[in-house]
Amino acid sequence: MSRSAKIIVVEHSPIIREGLKGVLNFSKIRVHLSFIDSFEELKTVSEKESIDIIIINPSFVANNPKAFDIERMRNGNVKWIGLVYAYYDSRVISMFDSIISISDTADTICSTIDRAVSADSQKGQSQEVLSEREIEILKLIATGMANKEIADKLNISINTVITHRKNISQKTGIKSVSGLTIYAVVQKLVSIESL
Amino acid sequence: MPFSISAEHKLSDVIAASPRFMLLPEHFGINYPLGDKSIKTVCGENNINQVLFMVFANLYNGMSYSKVETLPFSVAPTIVGFLGNSHRYYLEEMYPNILATITQMAELNDAKEMSLVPKFFVDYFNEVAEHLKYEDSIVFPYVLDLYQQTSIGVSSKNTGKYGVSEYKEHHNDIEEKLADLKNLLIKYLPLKNDQATRRKLLLLLSDLEFDLNIHSQIEDLILIPLVTKMEEHLISEK
Repeated sequence: MSRSAKIIVVEHSPIIREGLKGVLNFSKIRVHLSFIDSFEELKTVSEKESIDIIIINPSFVANNPKAFDIERMRNGNVKWIGLVYAYYDSRVISMFDSIISISDTADTICSTIDRAVSADSQKGQSQEVLSEREIEILKLIATGMANKEIADKLNISINTVITHRKNISQKTGIKSVSGLTIYAVVQKLVSIESL
Repeated sequence: MPFSISAEHKLSDVIAASPRFMLLPEHFGINYPLGDKSIKTVCGENNINQVLFMVFANLYNGMSYSKVETLPFSVAPTIVGFLGNSHRYYLEEMYPNILATITQMAELNDAKEMSLVPKFFVDYFNEVAEHLKYEDSIVFPYVLDLYQQTSIGVSSKNTGKYGVSEYKEHHNDIEEKLADLKNLLIKYLPLKNDQATRRKLLLLLSDLEFDLNIHSQIEDLILIPLVTKMEEHLISEK
């Protein structure tokens, strides 16, 4: 079955726009791309048609998380992907479902899109097994360590920690630190006495 | 499944059709029994804007909020009253109820990890209570004050002290932990002698989740845009 996805790209730069278009030619999914220039236009566009993915330069929303939240609520099932080519605070990065970075290979970008499209259809059957790295990070979360501390301890970037956390939450269905702590105890990854 | 509701329908029929509407009149401050009055009549008697009532009714109907014709500033006190009543329901009834059920479950089930659940919930409850009290004591009075100013043109000394843009963004957190608790109960926490209590708890959590979701839609998609409009209106008057 060949899947298709309606993607809106909120980005000014013609170079980035064309580049993205070129890269997505390699995607296994049929993508319909539209480009818009402002966050405000999203509202009009999303009222007219159904959208699967919004790829957006974080600069449009970094200073207005409230408007972003409202737009997210309005478009319940849409996946938001940040298109990052400047430094952003981890708080901004964590606003998105996933991230495309300017340094990503074409393969990585296509599989990010692929995962975003299939996330919903796979929800019920996604592999719940955490990877070894994810378990390692989960244990540190359960002991109360913050993202920054985990990043320092494992010598990885804070964005990587955030991505791992997102995957852990997606696999387990548990998002909060206190919830993950209980999960880690139930799974015998940490002992109740060590908390 | 959502069904079609019109203002000509009897409110009692709507509630009889689905228990999900049960809290709708309560939060508006409309008392049971409802008799045979239509929605239109009930709104008239209780001084509730009918458009607003229908918007809220459709949220309880399971429909997501879609833009309606502009609501007048005069609905602000009604919305604040509705949200305040919901807060009382959460704090005085729903959360204590859930806590009692969780405590009961932890007593029945002696699995070690079960002892973490009451603590999880108490911490969470405290966070929620703090947020709701903040809204009751800061946000709502601000909204009412703003409405006063737009309606009688009196400039209060409070202006400028607070803006709705400062509105804290706690709702996601509140709903997130609730979903976590549900998932823990359904997917992970070992079952020991607590089947009936767990079922009762899950029903309570689902009810709360349903109402909280509507609550935050009302605040984020209806109240905040209305307040922003009032703020802009007052600035342009100056």
